[in-house]
Amino acid sequence: MANGQTTECETLPDSARTATFVVIAAYNESTCIEQVVSEVRAEYPNVVVVDDGSTDGTFEAAKRSATHVLRHVINRGQGAALQTGIGFALSRGARVVVTFDADGQHRAEDIKAMIAPIWCGECEITLGSRFLGGTENIPASRRKMLRMAVLFTRIVNRVNVTDAHNGLRAFSDRAAREIDITLDRMAHATELIDQIRLSGLPFKEIPVQIRYTDYSLKKGQSSRNAIQIALHYLLGRVLR
Amino acid sequence: MNLFQTLALIAIAALFVLTLIAAVRGWATRRDALLWALLWLVAGVTIMWPGVTKVIANALGIGRGADLVLYCAVVVMMIGFLMVYVRLRRIRREMTLLVRELAIRDAISERKPPSDEAISHEATKEGHFDV
Repeated sequence: MANGQTTECETLPDSARTATFVVIAAYNESTCIEQVVSEVRAEYPNVVVVDDGSTDGTFEAAKRSATHVLRHVINRGQGAALQTGIGFALSRGARVVVTFDADGQHRAEDIKAMIAPIWCGECEITLGSRFLGGTENIPASRRKMLRMAVLFTRIVNRVNVTDAHNGLRAFSDRAAREIDITLDRMAHATELIDQIRLSGLPFKEIPVQIRYTDYSLKKGQSSRNAIQIALHYLLGRVLR
Repeated sequence: MNLFQTLALIAIAALFVLTLIAAVRGWATRRDALLWALLWLVAGVTIMWPGVTKVIANALGIGRGADLVLYCAVVVMMIGFLMVYVRLRRIRREMTLLVRELAIRDAISERKPPSDEAISHEATKEGHFDV
């Protein structure tokens, strides 16, 4: 994978911005969802929030800020919510679909670098990597856990990526159509990598920054959870 | 026959009859009913003549008949758990698809007017304004 910058894509046309749908899966994120959505929406008019059965008014908060708000009547997990948002975006004629986390850990300005290679036809999928870019306040334990996840991905999925569990990703409409997340909860990140490999679609890693705040760390996955996620994924592979 | 045998055989006979009724009335599939009937038959035979399990157990190199029954029960239960787990996964999957379908339908039926830029994109995509 080359990580060289391409000069032809430096300025994205407005049509690229309007044809990009940013999908945000949110579960009980009422305190920050408006802020996150408005940051993204300042640049990208089509923001799709999928409220994954929240119980704290996330839906109402999202309604105030997002272009499209979908609601899962029952909580189905992040993987399921993302798939819902991706399907909806495609039905609305999206040319590029971006997934973006609801807890404010991603920077809206990183989206541009994510969609540029796709818009220019350089690749079909881009994956954000915090280890290629700078990352603010990453705790040592979190770093260790993520390194383990990358190792897991290298061995089990046979794909060489530097950051397997970054929520910032972008897909061309063609790639988005090929993706079908069936693992509802957190194991979807690994499943996604599998599908990318099987589809044979060209992908590229893009350096992005992650803002580790007390809030995003609290909402993130603990190390103990990580083992559960790995088991869930492996079981999913055996019992297809 | 001792007291346990009497009681157990009555219970098993009742279950056997119930299985037959279920099969006739269509509460269970023919295949399921057959499997259950077979299970009751085997249980009935081993209760009536406990020596049978010992003969089979010894032939397999297992000391006691009760051990053979225990091992079989464990294996059957493991298979049962696995089948329930697989079914649970399928139900979860179907539930997700249902919830997704609902979410997309609701979004289409009660959509609020998109922003200007979103409209212009939709207009070029669909060739008309549908708001």
